[in-house]
Amino acid sequence: MRATAWEHYGSAPMVRMNTLVYATCFADAASSSELSLAYVKLIEQLAVFKGYSAAFCALKLAEEKFPSSTNSQIHLLKMQLLHERALHRGHLRIAQQICDEFGVLSSSVSGVDIELKTEASLRRARTLLAAKQFSQAAAVANSLFTTCYKYNMQVENASVLLLLAEIHRKSDNAVLGLPYALASQSFCKSFNLDLLEASATLTLAELWLALGSNHAKRALSLVYQSLPMILGHGGLELRARSQIVLAKCHLTDPEFSVSEDPCAVLDPLNQAAEDLQVLEYHEMAAEVYYLKAMTYNHLGKEYEREEAAARFKEHVTALENPRDEEDSLVY
Amino acid sequence: LSLFPPVRPPKKTSPKKPPTKQQAAMAEEQMEEASSSAAASGTPFQLQFDKPIPFQIKLAEWNPEKDLLAMVTDDSKVLLHRFNWQRLWTISPGKCITSICWSPDGKIVALGTEDGFVLLHDVENGKMLRSIKSHDVAIICLNWAEDEPLSRTDKEDLLSYEDRTTRFFPPAPVMPRIGGLNSGDTGLADENEEAIQAFSSASCQRFNILCTGDKDGCICFSIFGIFPIGKININKVPIHVQSSGKRTSYRLQDVSISKVSLSRNLHQLVLLCSGKLINTDNLSLSNDLSVGVHCLHLDTSIFSNRKNELHQVSQQASSIQDLVEVVRASISMMSKQWSNAMNLFHEKFSALPSLLTAHGMESSSEDEFMSLLFGTHTSPALHQFLVSSLGEAGLKRIAKTIESAGRELRIVVSEHLQPAVEIISFRLAELRGLARWRSRFQNIGLDEKLMDGVTERVGMLVVQVERFSRVAATVLYLFQNFLSWVLKCVKILLSEPTDQVPSTNSELVVIFLKFLLDKDPIKQLLETDQIFEWDIDTAKHVEHLVVFGGFTDTKFLERSLAKQFSELEESLKEAFLMPFTTVSSQIHCQGLLPLYPVTSSDALSSTSTPASIAFYKQDKDSQHNASSYSSTDYICFKIPDGSLNLRNFVAVIKDFCNSCSTSNTPSLSGFLLHIPVEYECVDLSLYKDNQVVLLLSGKSSSENAGRSWMVMLQTENLSFSQFSRTFPANYYNLQELEALELQLDTDYGKVRSVPHPLSTPLAVSASRGVACIFSSRRHALVYILDEDEDEDEDEGSEME
Repeated sequence: MRATAWEHYGSAPMVRMNTLVYATCFADAASSSELSLAYVKLIEQLAVFKGYSAAFCALKLAEEKFPSSTNSQIHLLKMQLLHERALHRGHLRIAQQICDEFGVLSSSVSGVDIELKTEASLRRARTLLAAKQFSQAAAVANSLFTTCYKYNMQVENASVLLLLAEIHRKSDNAVLGLPYALASQSFCKSFNLDLLEASATLTLAELWLALGSNHAKRALSLVYQSLPMILGHGGLELRARSQIVLAKCHLTDPEFSVSEDPCAVLDPLNQAAEDLQVLEYHEMAAEVYYLKAMTYNHLGKEYEREEAAARFKEHVTALENPRDEEDSLVY
Repeated sequence: LSLFPPVRPPKKTSPKKPPTKQQAAMAEEQMEEASSSAAASGTPFQLQFDKPIPFQIKLAEWNPEKDLLAMVTDDSKVLLHRFNWQRLWTISPGKCITSICWSPDGKIVALGTEDGFVLLHDVENGKMLRSIKSHDVAIICLNWAEDEPLSRTDKEDLLSYEDRTTRFFPPAPVMPRIGGLNSGDTGLADENEEAIQAFSSASCQRFNILCTGDKDGCICFSIFGIFPIGKININKVPIHVQSSGKRTSYRLQDVSISKVSLSRNLHQLVLLCSGKLINTDNLSLSNDLSVGVHCLHLDTSIFSNRKNELHQVSQQASSIQDLVEVVRASISMMSKQWSNAMNLFHEKFSALPSLLTAHGMESSSEDEFMSLLFGTHTSPALHQFLVSSLGEAGLKRIAKTIESAGRELRIVVSEHLQPAVEIISFRLAELRGLARWRSRFQNIGLDEKLMDGVTERVGMLVVQVERFSRVAATVLYLFQNFLSWVLKCVKILLSEPTDQVPSTNSELVVIFLKFLLDKDPIKQLLETDQIFEWDIDTAKHVEHLVVFGGFTDTKFLERSLAKQFSELEESLKEAFLMPFTTVSSQIHCQGLLPLYPVTSSDALSSTSTPASIAFYKQDKDSQHNASSYSSTDYICFKIPDGSLNLRNFVAVIKDFCNSCSTSNTPSLSGFLLHIPVEYECVDLSLYKDNQVVLLLSGKSSSENAGRSWMVMLQTENLSFSQFSRTFPANYYNLQELEALELQLDTDYGKVRSVPHPLSTPLAVSASRGVACIFSSRRHALVYILDEDEDEDEDEGSEME
């Protein structure tokens, strides 16, 4: 299907449109598995662009429409969504649980169900990353990379490299992360994976930023490079991330003064906060509010500062004591 | 020092008698020799050649890149000549041309017409690439300025934006041609298409803006000359003037623009216009003197500050507009093709009902075919219809027509319509991405909501196209099936063998009779005002999809393809209007300088008064601050006789813009130049390196009739005196200026006599260092202005 190709090339509206064309025009002619695939794509889009509540709502309908519980695609999608949400909300135990389920789904024979297996280990690595077990995450990601390399899975290759870079970044090892990010970027370039390339560029910017404030200019230009792509086609999470990086670049740049141009910082932060609200991504939302509070502090606006600080606290507590873990599996 | 050597002939030749052509040519030859041998002795401006031309030339302009001269004749023919006077092409656009200019890359010549059109012509073959109606009245002046490449700093390079479309799509589809019918001129059409193709791709190279000024005081700006980005009406622009601490508001009335010039950094626009200056605070202050020629300075920094953004947007938007045209052409062509085929079909089959009535039967044609299909009986009417009025040949003709129409339809859909719609949607998605970058793009008016709306619409259009191709395929198959069934029946009725006829499906024949005999779904889809019925299942399905992120407008399938397209167009227009209005509202008037009064009687002729505006880079402080270099504007114009009580004067002023915006830069200064009484200034032009080229022609009354001079003055050698720009105490400050006597044998500049009475226009080319002048005896003379300088000096450094 053309939609998948567009997904890789990075044009979200094109994905949506092509899927809709398919769902609308060939609804009567297509086989149920193909149609369900179309629906899966649509729901994925929803999750990425409109948040989880909308996606789960649609998922329910789709399950009604394709009642066979064995319908693997929809089942898979459900698990993917649940996993993402658990990660975002900070429900690590549940995330781990879903990862294990993933592992079970694929057959144990080596060389079969490769896609499912890579997906499972990718998710495991991300869960580990979220749990701050960096070395384990890196180990999983490394083994995953060798598998992908073996089976010539270019798209996965690039995203695994990116993941590695991310792992190094989070473990405060920015220098180690740089080569991975660069490799991922060049990988994407050669395969026209524009969106992934943009996010690789973004990661690169984050890494530079982590290297110190004198690299802020370079990071900023990298963000500028990737912004049109990310804003146009990236999901909510990616968009929010780029906005945060943008704000951070400005804040760390020693030549930039907040009081002169507060909009340059606050505008992206507000946009990021909006997006993250829909996504229920506590970790990043906390970061946004932290940055906001800092900015307001600089500007001397105490009331706004207190407000942002309160929101920051809210998100942090939500992240630290995942109270409603039970409903994470419910939707 | 004598003022001027009135009768002294040029150094070598003295054509005392009015020269015949041969003599003139000989004289020129001698002169040429002389000038080349005696260059040291001081005859400047080597004559390249002197050619008679059979037309009176109205406008002439040198190509900025190549040695080409475009000329417009009095009867609005456009000629393009090479430097060696070889003619490349002539076109007659059939409209009165009022202005001409070249695109900065020299690939397109833009013509402004009397009825407000801008015509863009290809330099290669003179073919028209575009015609854009941007004004209501005559376009008096054009100026096409390109962004200075030097002003791009490192930071902007990093912001460079890649158009991804070319990586993912094959070349954009072009307008479909009516196939088959006029295969004779396809070659021509092909060329044209290629040209348009090349144009749209080539025009996206560097950022440039075409300004057009019209007779009613409107100025339009369009990026690449095709994407309109702003329009301002000078009549409505408030002009605030700071004079002695007091702020006064003015307004101009009955404006007619005579000259526009956009600086190379796109930062400022200087224009000359005639009109009545009114003090809006105190209307009684205006008097006769307030009608005059004024010089305005507009702040167009929006273009330079936002040029990257504007570039990206216009790049996408202009190609979207191209593709929209492709879609429009495709739809209209399909509709034409199909209706032709259908007309034939209905024409033939309409005979049946009348035959039925003639036989006194009340059944419909559908019933008759049905009974034929189920073998009950064949009524005499149907028998007569099938065998005699339709006949085998007629049937085959219909089948063939419909088949070929169907094939055309398929080709148009698959090769033009579908790819075009797809690329539109991709480009729109890119634009939407840009629109989301609020901090950067909102201030040029790219609105996220509107872009979302357009994206939604184009998505629906994609679905519509897909549906159309399905419907068309079904209908065509049904037609084919039905027609071969009828053919079979005819053969049976004539008791001929039927083994040649392909087998048919009688169920599909029933469907055809039920749904297609009277209706025409293809036509419905191709017409705007039709409501297309769509079955309930699908409608439900579409509603269902909304939850999954489908189109919220669930009724869209009821619309026809053409209707959907027109809706897309509307929303596109709305979306692109936003940048247009936003940018227009950010162009402000920065300063005003009344130049000279005109009496209302000669207000009309004042537009043709020679004037020239140019921007020169400031060479002093530009080196160490390349990113924000400033340019000095020079305005040079002839003061009409009698105005300001001056006769035979030419004024040159400089630093008008800078004096408007900042206080510390050199303030407004200028000088007046008195032309010797026996001569009058025919035309003038600013030339590179701060020079002024003047054409002086002997007045017919004087003894110098028939003698002319071309003068090049180095303005730096002349003393500029400052003058204040405060008014209205005395409206026209130009009177303060010092008047210099022009003495043609001094060191002011170079002088050369021309043995012809001269007429407008004067065309100088800074990049080539040549000037072309036209004599009133229909001669064109080309002079080399820079023969002293290194001729191998590369063009880049000559270009300012």
